[in-house]
Amino acid sequence: MRVNPYPMPDLLAALNQTELQAQQDELEIATGRSVNVPSDNPAAAALEVQNNDQATFNAGYLQNLTTINGELSAADSTLSSVQTALQQAISLGVEGGSGTLSASDQAAIAAQLQGIQSQIISLANTSYQGNYVFGGTVTSEPPYAADSSDPSGVTYNGNDDVNQVSVGDGYKIAINQPGSQLFSASGNNVFLALNQLIQAVGSNSGIETAVANLTSAANYLSAQGVFYGNAMDQVQSQTTYLNAAKLQIAQQQNTLGGVDMVTAATNLSSAQTDEQAALEAISKLSQNILFDYLK
Amino acid sequence: MSGLYGTLSIALSALATSQQALETTSNNVANANTPGYSREVPVLEAGDPVVFGSLSIGTGVVLDKIESMRDPILEIQLNQETQQQSSLNAQLTQWQQIQTSFSSATSGIGADITNFFNSLGQLSPDPTNLALRQAVLTAAGNLATDFNTSANNLQTQRSNLNQTVVQDVGQVNTLTTEIASVNQQISNLENAQQNASTLVDKQTSLIRQLSGLVDVQVISTDQGISLTTSNGTALVSGSQSFALSTQIGSDGSQQVMSGTQDITGTLTGGSLAGTIQIRDQEIPNVLSQLDQLAAGFSNAVNAANAKGYILSDSNPPTPGGNIFTAPPAGGIGAAAAMQVSITDPSLIAASSDGTPGSNGNITNLSAVHDQAVVNGQTPLDSYSNLVFQVGSATSNTSADADASSQILQQLQDQRGSVSGVSLDEEAANMVQYQTAYQAAARVVSTVNSLLADAVNLGIDTAVQ
Repeated sequence: MRVNPYPMPDLLAALNQTELQAQQDELEIATGRSVNVPSDNPAAAALEVQNNDQATFNAGYLQNLTTINGELSAADSTLSSVQTALQQAISLGVEGGSGTLSASDQAAIAAQLQGIQSQIISLANTSYQGNYVFGGTVTSEPPYAADSSDPSGVTYNGNDDVNQVSVGDGYKIAINQPGSQLFSASGNNVFLALNQLIQAVGSNSGIETAVANLTSAANYLSAQGVFYGNAMDQVQSQTTYLNAAKLQIAQQQNTLGGVDMVTAATNLSSAQTDEQAALEAISKLSQNILFDYLK
Repeated sequence: MSGLYGTLSIALSALATSQQALETTSNNVANANTPGYSREVPVLEAGDPVVFGSLSIGTGVVLDKIESMRDPILEIQLNQETQQQSSLNAQLTQWQQIQTSFSSATSGIGADITNFFNSLGQLSPDPTNLALRQAVLTAAGNLATDFNTSANNLQTQRSNLNQTVVQDVGQVNTLTTEIASVNQQISNLENAQQNASTLVDKQTSLIRQLSGLVDVQVISTDQGISLTTSNGTALVSGSQSFALSTQIGSDGSQQVMSGTQDITGTLTGGSLAGTIQIRDQEIPNVLSQLDQLAAGFSNAVNAANAKGYILSDSNPPTPGGNIFTAPPAGGIGAAAAMQVSITDPSLIAASSDGTPGSNGNITNLSAVHDQAVVNGQTPLDSYSNLVFQVGSATSNTSADADASSQILQQLQDQRGSVSGVSLDEEAANMVQYQTAYQAAARVVSTVNSLLADAVNLGIDTAVQ
């Protein structure tokens, strides 16, 4: 078989190939990524889109958890203050019902109770970052307004709705408890009980019943308020979970599109060796031709 | 003719043929680097003998012909592989351009879809926050802009390919005209019983160039060669060429015409076919998927927004309107036309009960993330599927082009081993013909001396 006298194109193609490989390796090392265009690894490129989605959502959920946590703890500590105030009112009620006080002392207690009432109204109108916390989804106006015409002494301007926030894929937590289920729940209305106590102390009759009602309403409020503690626990454990997931997502991302530097460097070095060899071969080419020897 | 003059004439024939053979060698050496040149080999033949009774005396050597060494089958294979490779290379270049729109997982449409839903998620703890609402609109705007950019890039790429088609057709016509004229010259020479091998090399080389553009088939006839596309459209018949033309078709793109016949869809090889494949199949396919995604996404988000109420204290509450401009019917052009139709962030219908503080409808808006909006796929699945398609089409085309280029390389090696000029071989031939010439010259000198002997009757002088 006659030999192809033009090996140059083959050698140039080989040289081109090794240079391409070296370029690809250099790009991978420079960017730290093995998937720089979808054709580098189509399946990984498609999965990276999903991975970015997970990573972004994970970060978004974490941010939401921080926001929620602020709101939840503001509400929770408000409820604690309400409890303290209610305990104080109950003590005052008990004192006022002891039957040993003078009329003026009774009046003083009634006045103190009224002070507590306004304090609780004010606490129930707590806002967090401009939004009222206990009005259901009515967040733009104070949920409770003093109203002497109402038996409870207040009117509720909020609603019964609850906002839920996604803090994980398919995982939502409720972030508020409407006032209608906390302070003015039917049957356990804190304001009604307090107002009745004020009136009872004022008229010095039925104080015991009123204290009992207020105690029961306060207990109910306390039980309902556990919601916030629970929600904060959920926030805590979900934060832990998401932080762990974050690592996992980052690892997955690295597996998909990251570069194994050792392999990439080895590839680059072997591509460079190939390139050297191809150059060597080209330089050796046609150094010997018969014409040279025909002198 | 016999005797000393006969010997002299034999020696002269040897001198002449050796000289011609040397000329061939010299021509080979001269054309060692000429593309498409096929090495020539002098075919020597013994002269017809003269018969005297029972004696048959040779009359020297004649140069029967100068043969060009080429393998017609190999040339056909080379043409076919060139068509294949040019088509693939044309497609690869375009795919590489297409895939730039889909190259990043952290920017572009995919990331925009994610960011849009994430911004809704951020809004949910604080639905009355105007800054957070604005962030949703901004994310929606980014998504629309990236849809527009990707669609416009693809459209521009597509219309640029019209230029390529027109240029390619022009080149085809130049080549076919040239081939027809070479055919004429070959036929003239052959009719005059002359060697046309150099022109055949030129013809072969022109057909190879033409193969880079279209799928050429070569048919050899008594009148020379005819060229058609593989679908049978005549390009060259003997000394006549048939020009192709371009004409703007119903879809606004340049169609390839042979006379009044539209042959655009029938081309199967060469860069022209590759370009048309990308322009008429691949880009429209990618565009249509983008359109479907943009339309499905816009409709789903608009529908979800309509389920809730905008940020307002009005009573009864105002239901949400469109966030994105309603996509055109059938979705055609939806990606290029996608646009956020509202500028007031309070028009995002986050509320499910009409109160401003409610975030209930964000659930509906966010649910679009996991909703089948196009061909049973969620927006992100649809997009990542498109990324996969574009990536694997690019990578497959690249692999095919590599394979084809290796086959082509191999065929070229084979062609080289048949037709290539080897300088070593030519050097050896040169030595051979030189020696033959010297030997023949020696014979002439000997005959000369013998003739002198004969004329001068033994007196040792040369004939004056």
